[in-house]
Amino acid sequence: MKVFLNTLKWIILIFFLFVALYPLIWLLLASFKANNLELQQNPFGFPEKWMFINYYNAMVKAKLPSLFIHSIIVAFSAVFLNLLVASMTSFVISREDFKGKNVLLTVIAAGILLPIISFMVPYFTIIQKMRLYDSLLALIIVYSAINIPISVFLLTSFMGSIPVELEEAATIDGAGFVQRFTKVIIPLSQTGLATAGTFCFIYSWNEFIMALLLTSSESSRTLQLGIRFFTSQFVTDYTAMYAAIVITIIPSIVVYFIFHNKIISGLTAGAVKG
Amino acid sequence: MRKITFLVLSLTLIVAGTVFANGQQEKDKEIVLKWPSIWVGEDSKAGVVAQLVEQFNADNAGMIKVEVEAQPDYDGYEQKIRTSIAAGIVPDIFTMKLNPTTKAYYDSPLLMDFSKELSTGWGKDFNEGTVAQATVNGMVKSLPYEVAITPVWYNMDLFKKAGVSKYPRTYAEFLDAAAKLKAAGFIPTSQMTGGSNAWTSMLWYSHFLASFGGPDVYANPFGTDAYVKAAEVLLAMYSDGNTSMDAIGGDAGVSGGHYLAGESAMFINGPWYIGRVKTEAPAVYSATEVGPAPAAGSQKGAMIGFLQTNFAAAANADDPEKAAAAVKFIKWMTKAENVAKISAASGAMFAVKYDSSSISDELMGKFINASNDASFTIPHLEGVVTSDVITEFGQALGKMALGEATPKEFVEMLKKVQDQ
Amino acid sequence: MKKNKNIRMILLFLVPVAFLYISFFIYPLAFVLGTSLTEWNGITEMKFAGIDNYKKLLTDETFLLSIKNNIIWALSGGFIQIPLATMVALILARKPKGWKTLRTIYFLPNIISAVAIAMMWKAIYNPMYGFLNAFLNLFGIEGHNWLGETATALPSVIAQTVLYIGYFMVIIFAATTTIPKSFYEAAEIDGCTTLQQEWFITIPMIRGILVTTITLAMAYGMRHFEATFLMTSGGPAHSTSVMGLILYNKMDAFRLGEANATGTILILLGTVVIVVIRKLLSGRDAGSDSVQ
Repeated sequence: MKVFLNTLKWIILIFFLFVALYPLIWLLLASFKANNLELQQNPFGFPEKWMFINYYNAMVKAKLPSLFIHSIIVAFSAVFLNLLVASMTSFVISREDFKGKNVLLTVIAAGILLPIISFMVPYFTIIQKMRLYDSLLALIIVYSAINIPISVFLLTSFMGSIPVELEEAATIDGAGFVQRFTKVIIPLSQTGLATAGTFCFIYSWNEFIMALLLTSSESSRTLQLGIRFFTSQFVTDYTAMYAAIVITIIPSIVVYFIFHNKIISGLTAGAVKG
Repeated sequence: MRKITFLVLSLTLIVAGTVFANGQQEKDKEIVLKWPSIWVGEDSKAGVVAQLVEQFNADNAGMIKVEVEAQPDYDGYEQKIRTSIAAGIVPDIFTMKLNPTTKAYYDSPLLMDFSKELSTGWGKDFNEGTVAQATVNGMVKSLPYEVAITPVWYNMDLFKKAGVSKYPRTYAEFLDAAAKLKAAGFIPTSQMTGGSNAWTSMLWYSHFLASFGGPDVYANPFGTDAYVKAAEVLLAMYSDGNTSMDAIGGDAGVSGGHYLAGESAMFINGPWYIGRVKTEAPAVYSATEVGPAPAAGSQKGAMIGFLQTNFAAAANADDPEKAAAAVKFIKWMTKAENVAKISAASGAMFAVKYDSSSISDELMGKFINASNDASFTIPHLEGVVTSDVITEFGQALGKMALGEATPKEFVEMLKKVQDQ
Repeated sequence: MKKNKNIRMILLFLVPVAFLYISFFIYPLAFVLGTSLTEWNGITEMKFAGIDNYKKLLTDETFLLSIKNNIIWALSGGFIQIPLATMVALILARKPKGWKTLRTIYFLPNIISAVAIAMMWKAIYNPMYGFLNAFLNLFGIEGHNWLGETATALPSVIAQTVLYIGYFMVIIFAATTTIPKSFYEAAEIDGCTTLQQEWFITIPMIRGILVTTITLAMAYGMRHFEATFLMTSGGPAHSTSVMGLILYNKMDAFRLGEANATGTILILLGTVVIVVIRKLLSGRDAGSDSVQ
């Protein structure tokens, strides 16, 4: 039984390893192929000739380095703003009693359902009214706002799991409302914060349509718009686009590693004692 | 660790702040025209268009400056134009495809009407009938610019290998050629039901419509004989191995890919595809002849041709100088010599009269001949119906090709959407 | 409930979210609801149309089929994807060799652009060059045009999404880290097997987060759009159509009133599905779910 379970465990792990890793391998191989024709004729094999020029084109023609800085600013600021607002909200919802808090949570969480694509006209109008059109700040605010429902949804769930005793102990030690938030709840919900932050980062890093809608000049464009440099009205140069995609996902992986693995594994060791 | 994270985040915010502060400067006096343009990046017209803009800015230094905002992603571009107009803001200059859906833009007072300007002589620069095609209720709010024809591409190498010396002119010849091509292991036609508009098959259907219904086919309402007959022929293209296995559900990558790979013998697309064939499949490029589709009906030698991209501009009713500047720029872009330059470099065709003798590309020459030899030309279906009918086209075609709808039902499905 | 003495601080803490939520959710939602009652092309004046848009949608076969497909998406998300994600999260929570690396890799598909993943799967499903048919042929199984047949198209697109469990696995895994180790130690002493420990300790302890992830997965299923748009555009013969796609196509056709009516129905149905599911799963008030 034990041997069987152990084997089954590894079969499962390796199956999902393959499922998850294969897109990256495929993308890497595809990004070195000569053109769309080779991509279609030989979709899974190694490139006939390794076209490093695709990477050169991606970097130079699509001006990825400067767009890269914009994406970094937008994604990090959006995560920061989003976590700040969402953690304050989740704190009062999960740790305080007041009338209508369940309604409030339901209303906010319902935001997850909303098809953002139908908000294009109102978002465009709001950003114009705020005089933020064509600025990075527009994207920061929009991305952090769009991710509020999911972040609040996750954070209330995580914060709700913190034992009440810890908070009571802090109150006896003289901690006020704000201290309970900053000194007790925030440190103890870092797992949740890292999870919500990761999701917000990935969203902000990959978002395309709002970036296109709300910016116009090169000084406020993000990487996702740079990737589209290789599409045009009639023909998309997929191999070059894939090279650009590979370049843009590397920072995501790094961020994911640092924010998630390092922070969480440092904390999970002994953060919450029952 | 936590403190460092916080520091980094605060720093990025500060940096972000300074970036915005710098981004909001304005220049005096000079009229700045913003042009969200699709002719950028890898588009074949990008290079010459950029040069022309630069030259225009140099010629008008201190007075007018055209700023190009790169919009390479076409679907995204259309969405952005649509959204900003719905929010009441029209870009200074932009381009659009004119069809019964986008004709709605003509109802917007925010768009400039070029009809007065055209009547003062500018209109004579355009090919006959093109301005009329862009006129709605006496207004010309989009100026014909790039045009295209979409003949059938024939890979003559494959025909020869299959023992056919000429490409088929009639439906009987087509069936005969298709049988021989299949026997030789080739796919007779490239088709597709996927993508947002089933592009390749929509063009085949347009050719068959022309052949059954003649020059005025679109004047007949949906559901008339020509539509059903053309659908029967289109269904035949999907039957008996006349197209590839992956045509149902396939996208433009599939239908174009089979032709580029030298697997399919007949394909349809516009002149913009020439550059791609030339670089990716030189052997197919030199073996390609273009011409009308095999005449399935009584009309022979018909061609599909349409206004591809029109220029449009903001009316700027409260700022006549800006409006005049936009007209000045568009006039510059429609100058015969400038159009000739773009055409020579990109292979694109234009609604403006220009000297095309400098076009050296062999296949482009064949396109121009095919255009001149046409007995008559009609637009593609996409140009004459609203975009929801075209969306339905791919779905209805899939249904018919899978044997779940007859040609008559196929036409009825389209008609139902159109009647809404 | 007695009046909380911190009510001022509570309100203060809710000011930022109120600002963002009203600007970016309530106002746009009001816009969508309002325009859903009009005939509007985005250019000319809106015309009040009452519930015409809704009537039209709810009598349209394709729209009804899309609702059905969305429900299939939601159920697949909640009851195939989440169990798979839970299974993997629980295995990883026991920290087998290389668990950190595995956890990172499982999340990778969420980082890669959806466009690239869709292209890859189109290649995998292609009946002529595809990987899947080639693989099945090894066992003598005849291939299909997976995305080109009405029977296989929807399962093919769903399978492609459901297999990527990393997103939910991460949430569930994070929840398992909050369970005190002593619980397992005690169970071990009582002679519980690993499976029993998972069933009687882990699952009840992360029940709240499981309900949360099921809800999330179902919400994503109800508003699903991207993979379908990129892989099939709703075809063949509308067999993979979803509400999000109809919304997109209506916008493309300048039918903003109908598009927004579609959006409204999507939101309403989504809310119904989620409220029902949460009632069934938790038996408690939807707002108070938490890890006990």
